[in-house]
Amino acid sequence: MTDKTRSIDLANISLRDALDLAVLVEEEAKDRYEEFADQMELHHNPEAARFFRFMLAIEAKHESRLAERRRGLFGDEPRAVKREMIFDIEAPEYDEVRANMTLRQALDASLRAETKAFEFFEAAAEMVQMKDVQDIFTELREEEREHQALVRQEIDRLPPEGPARDDDDEIVAL
Amino acid sequence: MGMAGSGGDGIVSAGESLISAAAYEGYHAMMTKSFGSQVRGGESSCRVRLSTARVQNPGGTLDVAIALNWEDFLKFGAELPVSGDTVVIYDSKTGVEPGQIPLVGVTPKEVFAVPIGEMARRAAGTDKAKNSVVLGLIAGWFGIAPGSIVRGLNKKFAKKGPELLAANERAFHLGEEFAKEHPLATPRAMAPPTSSGSKMLTDGNDMCAAAAILAGCEFFGGYPITPSTEIMQFFTREVWKYGGAVVQAEDEIASIGAALGASFAGKKAMTATSGPGMALKTEILGLATIAELPLVIVNVQRGGPSTGLPTKPEQSDLFQAAFSASGDVLRPILAPTSVADTVDVTVEAFNIAEHYQTPVILLSDQEIAQRKETVDPIDTSRFTFIERKRPTAVDLQSYARFRMTEDGISPISHPGMKGGNYQGAGIEHNEQGNPTASGKVHAAMNAKRFRKLAPLQRRRDLFRIDGDPDAPFALVSWGSIAGVCREAYLRATAEGLAVKLLVPWLVYPVAEEIYREFFGSVRAGLVVEASHQGQLYRILRMYVDVPRGVTSFARDGANPIQPGDVVARLRAAALALQSPPSAQQIACEE
Amino acid sequence: MTTSNAPLPTYQAKDYKSELKPIWCPGCGDFGVVQAIYRALAAIGRPPHEIAFVSGIGCSSRIPGYTTAYGFNSVHGRALPIAQGIKIASPELLVLVAGGDGDGFSIGGGHVAHAVRRNTDITYIVMDNQIYGLTKGQLSPTSPKGLHTVTSEYGSLEEAVNPLLYVLAYGANFVAQGTPADMAGLAEVIEAAIRFPGFSFVNVQSPCVTFGEDDQQVKNHRATMQSLAKLGHDPTDRLAAMGLAQKYGKELHTGVFYKNPDPPPTMNALIKERQQVLSEKAPPRSRIFDRFLQT
Repeated sequence: MTDKTRSIDLANISLRDALDLAVLVEEEAKDRYEEFADQMELHHNPEAARFFRFMLAIEAKHESRLAERRRGLFGDEPRAVKREMIFDIEAPEYDEVRANMTLRQALDASLRAETKAFEFFEAAAEMVQMKDVQDIFTELREEEREHQALVRQEIDRLPPEGPARDDDDEIVAL
Repeated sequence: MGMAGSGGDGIVSAGESLISAAAYEGYHAMMTKSFGSQVRGGESSCRVRLSTARVQNPGGTLDVAIALNWEDFLKFGAELPVSGDTVVIYDSKTGVEPGQIPLVGVTPKEVFAVPIGEMARRAAGTDKAKNSVVLGLIAGWFGIAPGSIVRGLNKKFAKKGPELLAANERAFHLGEEFAKEHPLATPRAMAPPTSSGSKMLTDGNDMCAAAAILAGCEFFGGYPITPSTEIMQFFTREVWKYGGAVVQAEDEIASIGAALGASFAGKKAMTATSGPGMALKTEILGLATIAELPLVIVNVQRGGPSTGLPTKPEQSDLFQAAFSASGDVLRPILAPTSVADTVDVTVEAFNIAEHYQTPVILLSDQEIAQRKETVDPIDTSRFTFIERKRPTAVDLQSYARFRMTEDGISPISHPGMKGGNYQGAGIEHNEQGNPTASGKVHAAMNAKRFRKLAPLQRRRDLFRIDGDPDAPFALVSWGSIAGVCREAYLRATAEGLAVKLLVPWLVYPVAEEIYREFFGSVRAGLVVEASHQGQLYRILRMYVDVPRGVTSFARDGANPIQPGDVVARLRAAALALQSPPSAQQIACEE
Repeated sequence: MTTSNAPLPTYQAKDYKSELKPIWCPGCGDFGVVQAIYRALAAIGRPPHEIAFVSGIGCSSRIPGYTTAYGFNSVHGRALPIAQGIKIASPELLVLVAGGDGDGFSIGGGHVAHAVRRNTDITYIVMDNQIYGLTKGQLSPTSPKGLHTVTSEYGSLEEAVNPLLYVLAYGANFVAQGTPADMAGLAEVIEAAIRFPGFSFVNVQSPCVTFGEDDQQVKNHRATMQSLAKLGHDPTDRLAAMGLAQKYGKELHTGVFYKNPDPPPTMNALIKERQQVLSEKAPPRSRIFDRFLQT
């Protein structure tokens, strides 16, 4: 837990800050998927790129829903939780991707990320004191579970695949 | 006047006292020094040329030759040439009879064996006062500034105590008296100076460094290398006073790297080196070109290749300066021709670097850099100093560092300037500074980098052209050899030869139009320079239709070219024109 | 109150991220490094235009272009001299230098000792991947002995350079190591390095996903890395730091190896002092030639 956040006292977090944290977790994941999609496009891997854009859209939707809720409850109150305080909570780690990754590998990476987020919110829900915050974290945990199911469903639909493509010529030498 | 001795004899110090006194009295003077390659205690020599008119070069054969011992004197060979007009003075301790001095094929006008060492011991109790005896001899025989020499001795020994001063004064007077007791058969006293008022006495390296600080240089990165090191030494003493800094870097590469960094940060910056160091700096020079950063790089040329002749002048780094680069590069090369104009050329180097955002190579040479010369006091208000073009507030609203402009010059920001953020790079880039591999962008950027320098070739003020514009004979020369050619030009003109002289400060790019115009009337001439290949001559032929009668007069460094040599060659070229053309020439012309 | 009392940054990490899309191979350790740099810079809060970021040549040397700072992607091995020139000329700037192990310990290796002893206030981040990536997989100065690469068909014959031990032995006052496997820790050591007054060095184990060894990837770092703080290392003890640095290549230690508790004055401080003393009695620039007059 401690390696995922910095300067945040999760046990005593307020409802407002919990919502802000949730928004930022989705924002971070969304940004990461966008970076991944860009990387895949730059390295001519359209299948993986398409999938990462699909995930990007899901995270973006989730983010805006949470942001709306926060606005409804707390209006324009300033945010105390900053993006710099969280590290890869729902965003897949940078080393999850490869230029020649298959669609299945992309889905697997995403599944690991959703699982990671699920575990984060589960642990957070156990840690917090206030009931309303606990409810939010539990709810978030359940949403991550849904995301996991969604990705799993996609994985199951995939046909069996061959080995990763060899793209040694893609690397630019200077 | 030429003198030689062993390192401990203080012969160079005598030369310095002499030229300093002469400068104080208002004489024009020049002094060159030459040493063996030993760091301490080897043979050393100096030449001092004094005149009531401007001194253009160190001169040819000696009027006065002074040998504290013959072995050392002879080591300098052609650097200290004795003729039938020379008065030879040597220490009688050498045991050589005046009729048997070891100079082959020449009978000097007069020869004096003087007990120099003995007089020194008598006056001061030590051989170390030999140089004061020599000064006394010079003052006595040639009437040069005795009062000012004694004044100089007073200044020099003031800190070392009254006893030492008195001893040296006694040595000086002993020398002076000896001269008076043994008068020259043909008296040769110097006429008094025509211009009154003390002059400056300095060398090219110090002038270059001082001019750089005058021009606003705030950063110097260097690495010791003969014969440029004095530039860095001047900076280490002075630049702090003007808010600047100097770094003696770990190597030649780091020194130009740090200077380029300072320029990137928005400051005027310089580095100095000699040929071998220049070779190491080449990669970062290329970076300065593509990143379009102003930078002044001084190369004080010495004999090459490689270590070559570290203490001797040569003009053989012109090809290196012009062409040692990867990729298509055009960088301005400026060459001073004297200690005095080193100031103008250095200020100009900064102005060109700043205005065109380009590295500029200042190609000096060992002779200009290290010879001492009298220079009239400088009115610094005559200079203008150019600063790089900064982006305006409007430019910064949508800033593109390498924006395509008509004149190829794009406003340049620097870190700290809000809105000017950009990526400097050695990699080819687009207008915003971002990397590209596009052939189209590369071609456009190359064109921009060349286009911006085009106006330089029309800068007539960077050329000194003398003589009748319609003259059929011509001399072209650059760097320290230009001073030799100027004297040759004056002599040839006095002889009635219709000759003109072109000396470029801007050596490269070749100002095609200016040369074309100059060569228009020319039927014969010489491009005179100190290198084996005749590098300027060859570069001129790359760009200009040099008339067939104009040939290269190039001599390897450390083999001095004398004005007389140039006049003789010019005369021969003129004579060849008057004789009927050979059958071969006619065939060529058809 | 749910956050610590740290002052809130004026700038966010994304303010330091440029529009340029990295050309690094997906999965490259350098993606984590640049993220950590954004975060460290946000924590420090200097506006991007007051930052100069210099690099040499190599995959990692692309990094300045991915930030909004003033960048200078120079030539191979020469980032340190250029950065020092910038810092000496403009002391008010925050100056960062980055590059790979080839840039820093092979072609530019001669500059490191001098950057250390010159002690300008700059931060040098080396992305150490033990291989030449940009030129497609040749031996690098930190490649382990025996490594098989395209230039060592039968295994390399040379020992690896130990960057940590070198820099500690040169006398550096701040030496740390990080890995993108620990993003929070990496951002932290980079921030501490930048805040340190004087030359600071961060070696980042940033694996090459394309040419690196399978057992040297970020996922292996997660399993093997050991925090120096947790090991109880005292970062003010240079000899202890050198002892730990001996393990380079065998163990992956993260955090601060050495931080001088009493940092000596920086070169910029010494220069400023000298300028102040000497400028008091200086003639104006226009009188610079007067010294040559024979009086």
